Amino acid sequence: MSSAAIDPADLNWEHISPRYLTVRLIGWAVEAVVTVALACIPLALRAAGVWPSAPDWLAWGLPALAAAAFVWRAVLLPRQVRAVGYAERNEDFLLRSGIFYQRTLVVPYGRMQYVDVTVGPLERAFGLCSLKLHTAAPGTNAVLPGLPAAEGARLREHLSERGETQLAGL
Amino acid sequence: MSVPHNGEWARVHPVSPLVRGWIALAAIAFVFGRNIVEDLVGLRGGDGSESGASAPQGTVLLIGIAVLAGILLIIAVGFFLSWRFTRYQVTEEHVRVHSGIVFRQQRQARLDRVQAIDIIQPLLARLFGLAELRFEVADAGESAVRLAFLKLDDAQQLRTMILNRASGAAATDPDASGPADGDPHAGDNMLSTHGAKPAAAGAAGGRPRPGAAEAPEQPILELRPGRVVAATLLSGTTLFLLAGLACAVVITAVTGEPVTLAVMVPLLFGTVGGYWSEFSTSFNFRAAVSRDGIRVRYGLLDTRTQTVPPGRIQAVAVRQSPLWRLTGWYRVSVNVAGYGDGASSEGQARTKLLPAGTLPEVFAILALVLPEPGTDRPADVFTAGITGRGADHGFTTTPRRARWIAPLAWRRNGFTLTDTAVLVRSGALWRVLSVVPHARTQSMALEQGPLRRRFDTADLVLHSTAGPVHPRVRKIDTETVHRLFLEQAVRARDARRRDRTARWNRPAGASSAAPAVPGPANAVDPASKEFPHEQQ
Repeated sequence: MSSAAIDPADLNWEHISPRYLTVRLIGWAVEAVVTVALACIPLALRAAGVWPSAPDWLAWGLPALAAAAFVWRAVLLPRQVRAVGYAERNEDFLLRSGIFYQRTLVVPYGRMQYVDVTVGPLERAFGLCSLKLHTAAPGTNAVLPGLPAAEGARLREHLSERGETQLAGL
Repeated sequence: MSVPHNGEWARVHPVSPLVRGWIALAAIAFVFGRNIVEDLVGLRGGDGSESGASAPQGTVLLIGIAVLAGILLIIAVGFFLSWRFTRYQVTEEHVRVHSGIVFRQQRQARLDRVQAIDIIQPLLARLFGLAELRFEVADAGESAVRLAFLKLDDAQQLRTMILNRASGAAATDPDASGPADGDPHAGDNMLSTHGAKPAAAGAAGGRPRPGAAEAPEQPILELRPGRVVAATLLSGTTLFLLAGLACAVVITAVTGEPVTLAVMVPLLFGTVGGYWSEFSTSFNFRAAVSRDGIRVRYGLLDTRTQTVPPGRIQAVAVRQSPLWRLTGWYRVSVNVAGYGDGASSEGQARTKLLPAGTLPEVFAILALVLPEPGTDRPADVFTAGITGRGADHGFTTTPRRARWIAPLAWRRNGFTLTDTAVLVRSGALWRVLSVVPHARTQSMALEQGPLRRRFDTADLVLHSTAGPVHPRVRKIDTETVHRLFLEQAVRARDARRRDRTARWNRPAGASSAAPAVPGPANAVDPASKEFPHEQQ
């Protein structure tokens, strides 16, 4: 994949499970249906005669806009999911994400306060989990979604172990 | 009542619930007082027709008094129980507080995890000679342990004792856990509220307690009221007021109708509130340094004394709002884990390390925060960071090609490195210099959006604990900032290894040695030779 300019070179990026794309697409579909349905309200009102004077641009434009936005997001989703990567180094954990707004994060093991593994119902159905690293800084938004459950458990153990051996005070 | 030394349980001062709950009492007194007065007035008027003529006014009054007495009794019992059920204990390792009548809460915090200790005296507590002690650990939310209220002397003694034990100066237990970075359990239990009753309250008792001498202080600076008033009047609140007035004038000019008072009142309230909180929390500001860290005192009605042990300051920022350029004043604010994000006015007050100071005063404070600036010419480097622009003194700025996305600030935006810290400079109108010691770097992120990518620049965000300082190296050449990102990860790691502030006073080697009662020579030298303390 096209590694971004801001990524450290000579690093072996691990990628999250492709199944996560399916999870995201399901979420996307639900969201899209609901939003487009809501956007159709003026159109429905006009059709039902409740609001016969609803202007065209509103009645047709709103659903069209919503649909276009969701199509655009659907186009981006596969790339966004592919863009999420992580790498374990000896002293720290690297995490990258984003296509337009790229972010590469480094979390030293010695700074990790705890590690969260969460599994939502949809993720569970696909055998996935999300990992979140917490440091003392609220700005550390280190979430790694879409990990295979086994890999998530391995990472959690691994990270906790390294965190313990390298833990520094604040 | 005195301070519990060897782990026995103690209670807060009996008046405490009254001092805490006086607002509720005042409200009740007000409501009932008004009713009774109205009743009396009605009685005198002899007009009994308003409320059921069958009940004579005297009976109503009696019922009112009875209800009032009942409520007061309930409150008194509540106060008594809440006092009775609140107990605290300080052992060699922990401070514990049990509280609550129906929902019991048992809370303990590790002494070696202390981030700051505050002694707070709200106005009413001051009248009673009482004080609240707050013990902060690294949890950005509420205070870890609040003891409200103790006698002022007791609070101070307790603070001294806690600091002595936390610092390792009073370590009498040879088995006491080592510095936190070598302790495998150090991180798992920073603050726990668990239900287990402490096995033996006297576990730590019986040991000879070293004389808990207050670490001697050396005053660093104090602000005169005149400075505080002037700084308040020139603060951002004034800009806000001017902007509001300008809006009103423009609206009046455009619509031809004068802006009504109803619109102006919120503006005025906001302004007065801003001025007040700024003034009252900067008033009588004094900073001092002792072996146990930086100590600041301030407050007009409510007074506070804050102690931040060495190495607990996660990041520091020197700021200057536009109007302060006229007077050459700066504000120093810090991130301390446990002080929270500084969103509330209390949080803002607590994170101020210098409300308004001149450049030499700023240096005096910076010397406390950063005893080793890590450069041969700290005065030049830090001055360049605070007021300078361009590439002087090793600053790397936004490249010229990117000046279109930072038309004013591109020469200000920049960073430089010393051996001990990163200096991040930004802001053309609101100047900010953020300093993050390498040893305090938590995590870092490189960020690049489409616009920055177009100009081949990127941002580096240094994550710090919650607080007013948000260091972000802005719009630096991608390759340069990329290198900084990788190198900084290594520097931070090495600095972390060297850092020994967890037990800041632990005597090297012998931990059971008699506690060295510190002479002034032992104290942190405030006029750190490296820092331009006396420079004018």
